[in-house]
Amino acid sequence: MPENDHYVIIGNGPAGNHAAATLRQKDKDAKITIISDECVPYYYKPRLTDFIAGEIAKEDLMVNFQDVKDIRIRCGQAVKRIDPDSKLLFLQHMEKIEFSKLIIASGSRARVLPTMSGYADHLKFVTSYTDVMEYKEEIRKAENFFIFGGDLVGFKFFKMLNSMDKTVTIMIDPDAFWPYRLTRDMLEQISENLLKFNTEIIVKDEVLSIDRQNGSYRVKTRKGIEKNVDMVLSFNGLNPNIEFAKGSGIDIDYGILVDEYLKTNVDGIYACGSCAQIYNQAIKSYTTSIGWPNAVVQGEVAALNLLGDHKIIESVGQKYFDLEGVKIKTTWWEDINEDNDA
Amino acid sequence: MEVIESAYLDEKIETVRGIDFLQYRSQDLPTWCPGCGYFGIVDAFYKACRELNLKQENIVTVSGIGCSGRTPIFINSYGFHTLHGRSIPVASGLKLAREDLTVFAVAGDGDALGIGGGHLPHVARKNINITFLLFDNSIYGLTKGQSSSTTPYEMRTNSHPVGNPDTPLNPVKLALAYGASFVARGYAGDPRGLKQIIKEATLHQGFSFVQILTPCVTFDKENKTWKNLKEKVHDLNLRNEEKNMETAMRMAENEPYGVGTFFQDKERPHYQEILRNLNKAD
Amino acid sequence: MKDINIVIEICGSAGEGTISAGEITSRFMSSQGFEIMSFDSYPAEIRGFGKCVAHTRISSRQIYSPGKLADVLIALNDKHAISQLSTLKENGILIYDSQPARPHKEDESVAGWAKPGMISYGIPLNMLAHKASGNARGMNMVALGALAALFYVDKSPFTDSIKTRYAKKKQIVIDSNVNSFLEGYNWTKENIKKIDPHSFKDITLPKPKEKLIINGNQLVARAALDADLSFYAGYPITPATKIMEILSRELPKHGGVLLQTEDEISAIGAVIGAGFGGKRAMTATSGPGFALMTEFTGLSVMAEVPAVIINSQRAGPSTGIPTKTEQSDFNSAVLGGTGDCPRIVLAPADTKSCYEATVLALYLAEKYQTLVVVLLDFFLSNSIRNINIPEKPSSEYLDANIAPDKNDFKDYQRYKITKNGISPRAIPGTPGGMFFSTGLEHDAYGRPNYSEAGHTAMTQKRFAKFNTVLTEAPAPEISANDRDEFDIGVISWGSSAGAAHEAVMSAQKEGINASSFSSMMLSPFPEKALIDFSDKCKKILIPELNFSGQFAGFATRILKRSVERLNFITGRPMASEDILQKMREM
Repeated sequence: MPENDHYVIIGNGPAGNHAAATLRQKDKDAKITIISDECVPYYYKPRLTDFIAGEIAKEDLMVNFQDVKDIRIRCGQAVKRIDPDSKLLFLQHMEKIEFSKLIIASGSRARVLPTMSGYADHLKFVTSYTDVMEYKEEIRKAENFFIFGGDLVGFKFFKMLNSMDKTVTIMIDPDAFWPYRLTRDMLEQISENLLKFNTEIIVKDEVLSIDRQNGSYRVKTRKGIEKNVDMVLSFNGLNPNIEFAKGSGIDIDYGILVDEYLKTNVDGIYACGSCAQIYNQAIKSYTTSIGWPNAVVQGEVAALNLLGDHKIIESVGQKYFDLEGVKIKTTWWEDINEDNDA
Repeated sequence: MEVIESAYLDEKIETVRGIDFLQYRSQDLPTWCPGCGYFGIVDAFYKACRELNLKQENIVTVSGIGCSGRTPIFINSYGFHTLHGRSIPVASGLKLAREDLTVFAVAGDGDALGIGGGHLPHVARKNINITFLLFDNSIYGLTKGQSSSTTPYEMRTNSHPVGNPDTPLNPVKLALAYGASFVARGYAGDPRGLKQIIKEATLHQGFSFVQILTPCVTFDKENKTWKNLKEKVHDLNLRNEEKNMETAMRMAENEPYGVGTFFQDKERPHYQEILRNLNKAD
Repeated sequence: MKDINIVIEICGSAGEGTISAGEITSRFMSSQGFEIMSFDSYPAEIRGFGKCVAHTRISSRQIYSPGKLADVLIALNDKHAISQLSTLKENGILIYDSQPARPHKEDESVAGWAKPGMISYGIPLNMLAHKASGNARGMNMVALGALAALFYVDKSPFTDSIKTRYAKKKQIVIDSNVNSFLEGYNWTKENIKKIDPHSFKDITLPKPKEKLIINGNQLVARAALDADLSFYAGYPITPATKIMEILSRELPKHGGVLLQTEDEISAIGAVIGAGFGGKRAMTATSGPGFALMTEFTGLSVMAEVPAVIINSQRAGPSTGIPTKTEQSDFNSAVLGGTGDCPRIVLAPADTKSCYEATVLALYLAEKYQTLVVVLLDFFLSNSIRNINIPEKPSSEYLDANIAPDKNDFKDYQRYKITKNGISPRAIPGTPGGMFFSTGLEHDAYGRPNYSEAGHTAMTQKRFAKFNTVLTEAPAPEISANDRDEFDIGVISWGSSAGAAHEAVMSAQKEGINASSFSSMMLSPFPEKALIDFSDKCKKILIPELNFSGQFAGFATRILKRSVERLNFITGRPMASEDILQKMREM
């Protein structure tokens, strides 16, 4: 008797977990494994700021997802390399895992721009539970912050700091909401809307240098502003987390390239969630998606298609994100840039 | 029969105070059967003590269980009637803790070679400085006539009414093989000779093993009877053969009724000396 | 001030330096003023690749139990560590080798089995050990370096502790250990994102007093020497052997003699012989050896000869599990043997009372001319604590024999009937004191006497003595004794008492009105104190490390009421967490 299938899912977010749950529902006998480089079970990323602020306990951060049954969850284990030919995953800690089919749902992580390379060492990125655990104490102790960028998480983070009575300087970058570029009007409106928060807002400027001195940081901007702060945080959007897939033979651009069925160029390997760059028949191009509801649906569809179905993925969830009073259309299925410019 | 009578009479004339060895005899009357060989043994023991001029309070006699176990009761010194087969461990502990005392361990054949047989090799190889007297009548007397470790093959006993299926042990051979530094055999019917052997054994610095041939007048009517012993026991005149293991072994094999000192190693340090030397060297 | 209360487990194969890494950690933490409690578990096999675990609890406060689950697991060996993950807390930290000499097959890596919520830190232990010293031997030190870096522990006093540990070795050994530690420390500082909350930073403790870092076996040996032991006989048996090994070296320096016997019967026989000779003597054994010694225990009681047996319990019956702890010799120690046999049984509750119990045992045995059994267990024998240096016993504890006087010698009765049951005892060598002792029933002179009246009188005398002992028994330990009423009373004995005490303290914090009772003296048992305590308690809980509730059965007979039992035979020491959980459910 042949061994049961081993479905491996890289990523422990909504896409990964819903993929796993769907697989389990449809295939009672298969071995299913979720691999995550974070040492924490499935959690609500959007609640991280509340968690830092101490408004919710760790239990409230965790997703109580009962559908994931009889699934081996490997936490704190980074995938280093994929070999699609031998169907092997190589983990960072030098363990090999055989899979029969694979779903990549590895999500995304903070975007580091080439322009930051001169001072990237002094920047803190807070996009995951691991980041939070690393910096939580430091954030609670620090008084003065410099926030650089200003994506959705960035603004949430800013408000959290504000509620913790911290002194924050925020420098909004039009590219922070990458891949969507904020227009000048938008920037101005956001600044105006943020004024109620008794904070210093810098626009139309860029960070020139960050230096560490006596335990604090000195931030200089091109326009000559100088700030001494305890922490500098960067929120300049997210990038698909797909380092491990490079060189494996799976086609990638900035994300993992998949067709509308979420299948990669390699048989038996699928990708979903924010790590996937999905082909859009309408615009004849690839785009990434954001948001929890999209990740959930994509996880389910990837799993169904992996099992032999032919479902075409569609956008779900809210069409607009509220960026400090400015509505931004984020439906990834359409050409957003064009839409925004219009 | 004269020997028995003399021993038995001794017992009866406890009021005779002129005889100085009687100081080693307690006020208690032995409970052994009339005619028992053990009277001869304790008689020899008293006299040996007298001739060695041992202080009563410095003597401790440690016994096990059985007819021989009662021996300390009849000796006017410190005495300890312990457990079946265990006189050797208790005597060893006592001697090692109290080097100043003269310690005797007594045991019957069941005691020493049956239940307590495991202790003998070790006290011998350690060369603990005690004198071990094996009252060997080849029978369990106190429990009324069962085979022991030295009961002859095919002899009928109460536990083997159709004949003992076991081959008997040879105590002298065992003691030699175990490395006892003094090995002798005496005879209850010759208190004078036995006294001499007990004296030598007591003076020996190290473990001294003395097998004493003695009858059980009640439960053995065919083997070690007074009659048989009187006929067979003879002096081997081995006193000059000390330290010759080969001769000793041969004699042990061939002369089951020969008495005398089979082997003595006077050079070998006893256990406490060994410990002192080792600890000094450390 | 921030509290530290952390349990670290180091898990590896025999020969990987697991135990020494644990030892260094304990010594270092003790030198920093922390309370430590540690124990090692290792295979019963002599050599090979058996699993070793060094378990250490470190606290800035007083601790009473070793802690059930670990906060940190350092895996020096993946295979063994996988099975050890079950005792790592849900949010525990796993430190593992991220770059082993050869890649793991699927499921062979401990990192692969870390449960969600556990924090794993992969450190290239093997690679860094090679870098530091050219071979893998320093992996244990690399791991300690990583631990120090993660927890903000000062590296220089830590390296001092390593140097001290290997002080007797060649310089190259010291260097490679220290270098391995520093490699681990530096690499971790540079490469690891710390996401756990543990930190030793800014913990300042008062300058520690000079402490003894010692286990129960070592302390028993030390106490015996301080209490003028002059004779020891023993036979090797896990977990008591170490007592003999220590005394073998130390006893001759104190003028005593150690005898390794051919078996345990001989050992206790020799002890009784030495006791008969008026010397303080003892032996140490475990269940199977104690079973053999039972042959002699009655003689000590009957002939009224002092003897002390240390019984370090292990899982039974029969050969059982030599390296697992259990409290299953209660019945055998307190009730075993022939006839109506009153014997003294002491069970120290923690490491430091092993000293007290041993001194007391030798004293009581001598004074009351009887058998004293001290019940240790594998855990007490082997777990290591840092304790204050115990005060040496005062002279009254060292010379306890009640000797006959001139009047007694006029008609010396070794077994004279007295009110307290103690008859003046002459020691061989004393003129005029000559007597005969026997395991037979006897009269006042020691002569065999089987009469009805004689046996009754002598049995009463032996029990009178036994009851007199109670007047100088150490008082039971009772927590919150000033209160009149408790919802739950936890009665415990031996090494479980610490966990019971700790559980009761935690329960009180949770609002459970509870108290704990434990008595070092198990036989004779302070029954009145037990009944008084029980009367204050609505419910009684008796936790112990045996299956059948041996002590609970004993206590039930005294209390004539039903009690809740909590029994474990996992081979692990009693955990306060388990007792607390049971209390919550009651």
